[in-house]
Amino acid sequence: MEKQHHLHLLPGDIGETVFLPGDVSRAKIIAEHFESYKLMASNRQYNTFTGMYKGIKVSVTSTGIGGAGAAIAIEELVKVGARNFIRIGTGGMIQEWLPRPGLLVITAAVTGDGTSREYFPVGYPSIANLEVVEGMIASAEELGLVVNPGLEWSHDTFYAGSPLSELDILAIEKPWIDAGVLIASQEAATVLSISMARNCRGGVLLVSSGCHQAPNEGATEEETAQAISDATRISLETAVKLYKLDH
Amino acid sequence: MNIKIALGENMSEEHRQHHINLLPGEAASTVLIPDDSGRVQLFAESMDEAEKVTQKREYITYTGKKGGTQISCTSTGLGSSPTAIGAEELVRIGTKNIIRIGTCRAIQSFVQPGDLIIATGAVRGERATEELIPIDYPAVADFRIVRALIEACTRLEQPYHLGIVRTHDALYLEAPFAAGGRPANVQQWVDLGVLAQDNETSALFVVAGMQGVRAGAILLYSAAPHDKGLEERTRVQMAAGIEAARILHEKGLD
Repeated sequence: MEKQHHLHLLPGDIGETVFLPGDVSRAKIIAEHFESYKLMASNRQYNTFTGMYKGIKVSVTSTGIGGAGAAIAIEELVKVGARNFIRIGTGGMIQEWLPRPGLLVITAAVTGDGTSREYFPVGYPSIANLEVVEGMIASAEELGLVVNPGLEWSHDTFYAGSPLSELDILAIEKPWIDAGVLIASQEAATVLSISMARNCRGGVLLVSSGCHQAPNEGATEEETAQAISDATRISLETAVKLYKLDH
Repeated sequence: MNIKIALGENMSEEHRQHHINLLPGEAASTVLIPDDSGRVQLFAESMDEAEKVTQKREYITYTGKKGGTQISCTSTGLGSSPTAIGAEELVRIGTKNIIRIGTCRAIQSFVQPGDLIIATGAVRGERATEELIPIDYPAVADFRIVRALIEACTRLEQPYHLGIVRTHDALYLEAPFAAGGRPANVQQWVDLGVLAQDNETSALFVVAGMQGVRAGAILLYSAAPHDKGLEERTRVQMAAGIEAARILHEKGLD
């Protein structure tokens, strides 16, 4: 097999579980939590590191921002042997009661992204894999970390759903806020939908420094960096649990 | 028999729900909702003790005990409209867990008549919930109820299918026995891996999700309504729903 068109990966280059940050630089930060790691390929926004953790092979691939780029990554990762996808990302919380920073286990996503719509017709739910959700919650508990499970709103236009926007984002987000959706970001629905379409396990763990209702009252950069590290530790323990289910 | 539930403080007749005819506190925190009003009798027979609480239109409520766990059962009638009403009103009286006990029509060849399906989510092919929230919102079962239903089937040594179903509003348009209908409509859902179709599940999941209560569904593939074997399978299905309610209680999720 020739190496994959965008990711430049070959079969054997990755573990069964692949972590998917959006941020290109975060792939290495996540890999530094492995017991060992090596850069397998780097092309465009796609940086892939593979290493070992507690005896299992794990990988991380950065996807860049947005569903379209994440979908390409998942499709090519499936072709080289990935079975479980865990997005480790960031977003903006839309419920004021959530802790800041927040660690959110996404159970399902609002499919405001175009990519999910192309894979599945309107009305088809984008759902996280049960074993991944349970694995994340159990791992967080073992690590003494607080996570909140719930829904994410995925959408394609950052500047129509961010405090940095000039639009009235709370009006845009009102249906989702009223329905108790926890957080806005751009990739969860895509990761969950494409995982479903390819019969893989998909899950999403999001970190957020603050909420859209109170943009100036967020966690510090240090606190948020620690939360991303915590999310990585939870995800690694989840990967170990998934491995035990399969082997 | 003492299965009366204490009414909440300051509850008066003005809090009685318009259709289900219940006051806050008049049902257990876990309620099983069959669409078929005939199933509430089966619920009562399946419990250690149970009594009828109220009846109005297609909404009949029984409350009972099984192994010390208090559980209620409210029929909703067939279709997304009455299911959405029933779910909404159950939330208003303080229900925490709603489990649909319904029938469905499988569209995958590997699902046989009499098989049980635990729904993880539902395609929103109905229109009731589009009045509540845009179509992008997912109709998804609560993962804790999905797990409770899986554990219930395991305890009862019953196999089950786990996956997505599709809810729509016109059974006789897409059923295989449709007369002048469009049964070919279902092919796209077959191709997308949808296990079965019914007329209620996505309405429950959306209403419960928006209101922050847990919901789940265990469906029985009923192909021929007069199939004698179906009666026994219906008992098994009800037993699984009751067992799931007990498991939620054991986990402190009620």
